[in-house]
Amino acid sequence: MITQQAVIAAQRFGFGATPAEMVQINADPRGWVKAQLAAETALPKPLAALPSTMDDQLAFFRWLSQYGNQAKSAEASAMATSVEQSYVRALYPRYQRAVQARFDTAVTTPTPVFERLVHFWSNHFVVSGVKPIAIALPPSFERDAIRPYVTGKFSDMLHAVVKHPAMLIYLDNTQSIGAHSKWAKNPPRRPRQLAAFPAPTGLNENLAREILELHTVGVDAGYDQTDVTSFANIITGWQMITPRQPARFAALYVGVGDDLFYFNAAAHEPGAQTVMRKTYPAGGVEQGEAVLNDLARHRATATFLATKLARHFVADEPPGELVERLATVFRDTDGDLGAVTLALVDSPQPWAQPQSKLKQPEEFLISAVRTFGGPQLAPRQLLASLNEMGQRPYMPLGPDGWADQQDYWLSPDGIYKRIEWAQLAGRGLAGSIPEPDQFADAVFGDALSAATRTAIARAESPAQGIALLLAAPEFMRR
Amino acid sequence: MAAFNRRTFVKLVGASAAVATAPSARIAFANAAIDARLLVVVLRGGMDGLAAVPAYGDPQYVTARAGIALPPPGEAGGVLPLDGTFGLNPSLTEFAALYAQGALLPIHAACVPYHGRSHFEAQNVLENGSAVPYFLKSGWMNRALTALPAGNGDLGITIAQTMPVIMRGDAPVTSWYPSVLPQPDTDTLERIAAIYAAADTKLHTALVHARNAHAMATDSQDGAQFPSLMRAAGGFLANATGPRVALIESSGWDTHANQSLTYGALDRNLRALDAGAIALRNALGAQWQHTVVLVMTEFGRTVAMNGTSGTDHGTGGAAFLFGGAVAGGRVLADWPGLASGNLLDRRDLKPTIDLRGVMKGVLADHLHVPDGHIETIVFPDSTGIRPVPDLIRAV
Repeated sequence: MITQQAVIAAQRFGFGATPAEMVQINADPRGWVKAQLAAETALPKPLAALPSTMDDQLAFFRWLSQYGNQAKSAEASAMATSVEQSYVRALYPRYQRAVQARFDTAVTTPTPVFERLVHFWSNHFVVSGVKPIAIALPPSFERDAIRPYVTGKFSDMLHAVVKHPAMLIYLDNTQSIGAHSKWAKNPPRRPRQLAAFPAPTGLNENLAREILELHTVGVDAGYDQTDVTSFANIITGWQMITPRQPARFAALYVGVGDDLFYFNAAAHEPGAQTVMRKTYPAGGVEQGEAVLNDLARHRATATFLATKLARHFVADEPPGELVERLATVFRDTDGDLGAVTLALVDSPQPWAQPQSKLKQPEEFLISAVRTFGGPQLAPRQLLASLNEMGQRPYMPLGPDGWADQQDYWLSPDGIYKRIEWAQLAGRGLAGSIPEPDQFADAVFGDALSAATRTAIARAESPAQGIALLLAAPEFMRR
Repeated sequence: MAAFNRRTFVKLVGASAAVATAPSARIAFANAAIDARLLVVVLRGGMDGLAAVPAYGDPQYVTARAGIALPPPGEAGGVLPLDGTFGLNPSLTEFAALYAQGALLPIHAACVPYHGRSHFEAQNVLENGSAVPYFLKSGWMNRALTALPAGNGDLGITIAQTMPVIMRGDAPVTSWYPSVLPQPDTDTLERIAAIYAAADTKLHTALVHARNAHAMATDSQDGAQFPSLMRAAGGFLANATGPRVALIESSGWDTHANQSLTYGALDRNLRALDAGAIALRNALGAQWQHTVVLVMTEFGRTVAMNGTSGTDHGTGGAAFLFGGAVAGGRVLADWPGLASGNLLDRRDLKPTIDLRGVMKGVLADHLHVPDGHIETIVFPDSTGIRPVPDLIRAV
């Protein structure tokens, strides 16, 4: 019989499992989780097939030159109405393809626990495609700046994140220039296609504020507006390579890989700056790197991250003892995320707390398809399903990412949409799962409530039985 | 869609002993006990109040807003004047018409009682109704509902896929959003409800409320653009036995860069807001005269343009009341001025109106929530913040 512990391993730490996988997990639930905490040696196939970061950037410039050519032949005012629409239309296929790749990876991966960590950290440091200019950026960001570090050092992830073109573009840092920098005095020439967008003349504090508030120490760590402004000054000049012409770009940067970070000294605000009572002497890129190092090691960062991790994997209101334990491991290991995750898995709380978390819509869909082996969703259907449930992948509304509490997701409309989807999926799966009651037993075993078991057994058709299992608390929660 | 009649309802909630704690236990009579309707529109991201309601008559306006100041009234793309000091963004033409009819009341230099410039803390304060982020878990709209006569279960509705803090709490509320998925059949719904009733109170409550909303919903194929959502909200509020209070969200107001572009993010949002007001009025029909809409955002933005032709997180900003029940046609402001010495931290519009005073005034004079309830339950740490009087038109 499948045990409670095996169900916890599969649901709380993974994306659900097929009957065959459940047999394997049942043999050693905790061991099954722990075996997945190693860094991966190769990208999963669906992700390896996606365009490179360089190619995503080239796509932008290809669009820009096409747009410029169109602009010559159309009235300028008419073009102004559609600059963002035009861009989104051109780049949307990349977004759609990447959403499918993320979904396929989660459904097929032999290491779903690792994948859950990728999703967690990708949401912590979110780049949201809801901002038109960022629509195609989140996938390469997740692959370059998140994936390699989920069981590595937090400070490495932080540096990779803040230096990634996607983050620099999303939170406006590519446009932020020091008020006393060379570029402020002598602005560079800009592509004529960008004429509609005014040239930057000074500071934009968006990225600096969110690094403090959302990425590291958290909003209560005692910084103020002066700290935000100083930190924003420090990271002026943190930009990306900005090619003017795709051909020249490709020729120039062949072989540099996907690291497109570029410290532009001409845009950097000169002078020493003070952030959270520490003065950082005048300098170049190392001035900002020093701040990131200090933030990664700040006491508040450990607590902030431990709380989020425990909330995600255990309970909306995570047990204080567990948070303290994870924060201590974080501090003792200089932010070793592998060690922190291992401590989480080795703690008693995740294995004892009732499964009170509500799966987020994307998790709900991934676990459905992973568990039942279907239904096959075309990219448009996948996106439509998730859109209906309020979670277009890579597109949370703000830089704080998706909410991680059921108070947000467990709404009347949210539950109703899942039921609508469950019924539709039941019809699609009925042919391959003729006996849903046996299937439910094979996946949930001891964890199945009497009410769910009885309802599925009495279902009027396999399709209805599958819908009942998908909508049941055992499946909705983790 | 399957008809949702009283018999089905009884069958549904009768499925288990959990009925005693289910919200449907409040079923008594229709919501006809009150005529008043309140719709709250939360603009997320921080609307630039000085772009929406430019203080074009302030002697410092043009210099303080250098680079993003709107042209004066009469010029191309110029401010739509309201009085000698304030105007509306040229994209808010319907708002200007409402103002002329006395049905729009812009509020300026207003803010929540939190001045920390974080979106998320400021939104939380805007929604939870206290002065401290995360101090209360429930929202002020929901707590206000607990004072109203119990109706048919759902006095409040959120037009969204998720439940924002402002509507969370003990009062029975539902939510609804357009769907392209097929409706589930009644038999399957009832079997699922039976599982929830036995095994999961929260899921059960959510499903009961969802079914209430679906029994009333009219046009689920209308799309999810803001004006369509406003039309849907109007449909629910116009229903004699429907909710009396509704919530809609709009996002994308965080304009750090290039905010003055025609058809840029800010312009598109303002146009949608403008179109939404009319879509709502049309859907409300005769109930428009009983309706107050409160449009609010978590903070205003910096007075000066930043280095990227946008504005950063600020403090004081603009809000709107509109609707047939609003005593409008004037601007509510205790104007602090745009001279740099008058700004908060020399960067933000200084807030002179606590938005809780506006909320209190609307709850007291429109929904007739008792003062004691407002002071102790809805805004428990708001001593000294008086309800703003005369926001509501005398009937």
